[in-house]
Amino acid sequence: MIVQQLLNGLISGSVYALFALGFTLISGTHRILNLAHAGVFMTGAFIGYYCVVLGLPLWLAIVLAMIGSGLLSYFIDIVAFQQLRAQKQIEFAALISSIGANLILINIAQRLSDTQVLSFPFGTFPTIFFHFAGVRVSALQLMIVALVAVLFGLLLFYLYKTSFGRQVRAVAGNERAAMLLGVNPKSVYFQTFFISGALAGIAGVLIGLLFSSVYFLMGEPYLLRGFVIVILGGLGSIPGAVVAGLLLGVMQTLATAYLPPGLTDAMIYSLLFVGLLIRPSGLFGGQAIAVAAGRR
Amino acid sequence: MGIFEVYHPLFNFFLLNVGYAFSQQIVLRAGVFSVATGGFAALGAYCTAILVVDYQVGEFLALAASLALGMLTGLILSWPLARLRGVYQAIATLAFVQIVTALLLYAEDITGGAIGINHIPRLATTWQLLIAVAIVTYIIFSIGRSGIGRAFDAIRQDETVAGMLGVSIRRYHILAFVISGAIGGLFGGFHALLVYSIEPALFGFEFLAMVLTFIVLGGKGSVWGPIIGTAIIVSLPEIARPLAENRQMAQGILMMVMIAYLPNGVYDSLVSLIRQRRAAKWDRANQEKSHAVAGA
Repeated sequence: MIVQQLLNGLISGSVYALFALGFTLISGTHRILNLAHAGVFMTGAFIGYYCVVLGLPLWLAIVLAMIGSGLLSYFIDIVAFQQLRAQKQIEFAALISSIGANLILINIAQRLSDTQVLSFPFGTFPTIFFHFAGVRVSALQLMIVALVAVLFGLLLFYLYKTSFGRQVRAVAGNERAAMLLGVNPKSVYFQTFFISGALAGIAGVLIGLLFSSVYFLMGEPYLLRGFVIVILGGLGSIPGAVVAGLLLGVMQTLATAYLPPGLTDAMIYSLLFVGLLIRPSGLFGGQAIAVAAGRR
Repeated sequence: MGIFEVYHPLFNFFLLNVGYAFSQQIVLRAGVFSVATGGFAALGAYCTAILVVDYQVGEFLALAASLALGMLTGLILSWPLARLRGVYQAIATLAFVQIVTALLLYAEDITGGAIGINHIPRLATTWQLLIAVAIVTYIIFSIGRSGIGRAFDAIRQDETVAGMLGVSIRRYHILAFVISGAIGGLFGGFHALLVYSIEPALFGFEFLAMVLTFIVLGGKGSVWGPIIGTAIIVSLPEIARPLAENRQMAQGILMMVMIAYLPNGVYDSLVSLIRQRRAAKWDRANQEKSHAVAGA
């Protein structure tokens, strides 16, 4: 029983981590809390849904959702954030601007779906269950866990082993100095926002599949959980996001199972509140990480 | 009289939101990035509703209790939060709002859970609300003109300089939280007495975005900013039907455009423009005078 609970926790934790990866990438590199990430995530789910309904195979739907939401994310950067970089108080301004962008995306999705909860047609992903040692897990759940591991690895490889990643980290450290050394910040912004959006897109499709629901407000609970993860893991720390995501999933499942019903949310946000007070830099936030948080 | 009858509920709604806007403005003015207004309002609304419905307490006493509760919560909240800055403060106050909402959902026996409290007698009149808004406007106005307002402005513009000049940042941050809490609690109480039924979802993310928009739109420097910002947002759906259907989109676009091109809000930007013009005119007049003197 407890093993099953832990496993469920790890699976929902992977889902949270999947959402938080792109969110933390932007907050680490550009010191922006991009609340529109929730809207991009939701858009990814919608693109995936409509592709599947039109009869495209699932893998193609996922790829199109990633490309679509990646481009959308970059578009949001151009529209919402580019103008603000000249201003001094980018933190506040970017937060407001991304809330605005998020509202626009939610409004469009609401009109498009007529405020309905859409769900993927039955059998979009084969419903196979595996049983071993008394534990039950579906193929989709296994795929999500595996995917988080792969994407996490790829993201780390990209950031720390490639020339692009070095450029991203250079801009994160000091944009002006990076520019003087011949890094084109525009291409860095394109890369980070595209990758962040693509991650949000695949997260949207998979979460839409997992819970069999795609609707215009689906981003909000993940955004709120995303804040918890990003703060607990350290603002901008990618390993932190994965660890904090898994931790959050396990704690949430255990709390739902063993605490009085309804107290889970109160517990999670109290954890966030206390975490902020005791250790605002989070579990992994420190000088050692190149893609670190912008704190003064 | 006929026209006033039609727009009477809208006018009440406007007055209510002016109150919330002031609660949000006072913290932003002091350089505190708090979004706790929704939490204060929720506490105030439930406090008044429970006192009036379950304990048959008089409306004024109930409103006073809401005000005191908001004030107390602001005080308690300010003690840990005065240590945090910027985005961290915003996330911590967001966590506070979520904790309040989660507890309201949890304590079903007292608060009615997700259904909320219904059949609240409609005891507040427009006149009472108008008087409350007038008093709060006057208080905010006098705070703005006093040493407290100057201290707030100094802290917002440059905390280090303000500290060097002997302004106790901690004390003024606490003061801002307490005032914000008191106003938020009071108008939360009015909210409960105006709308017959309240539920936790009223004070969620949408509320937060709306109240922030009032200030971003109007400006945080004077009492007119919040009033004008609220008037614009509240009247938007009434101006044209497409605007009512796409209210969130209109709000989102306004937020993005304002923060990018007029970050000080409509009113504050207008005032500084007029001042610049006047100063330029005065300069020119002086120059001409000195030329005339030199010529003679």
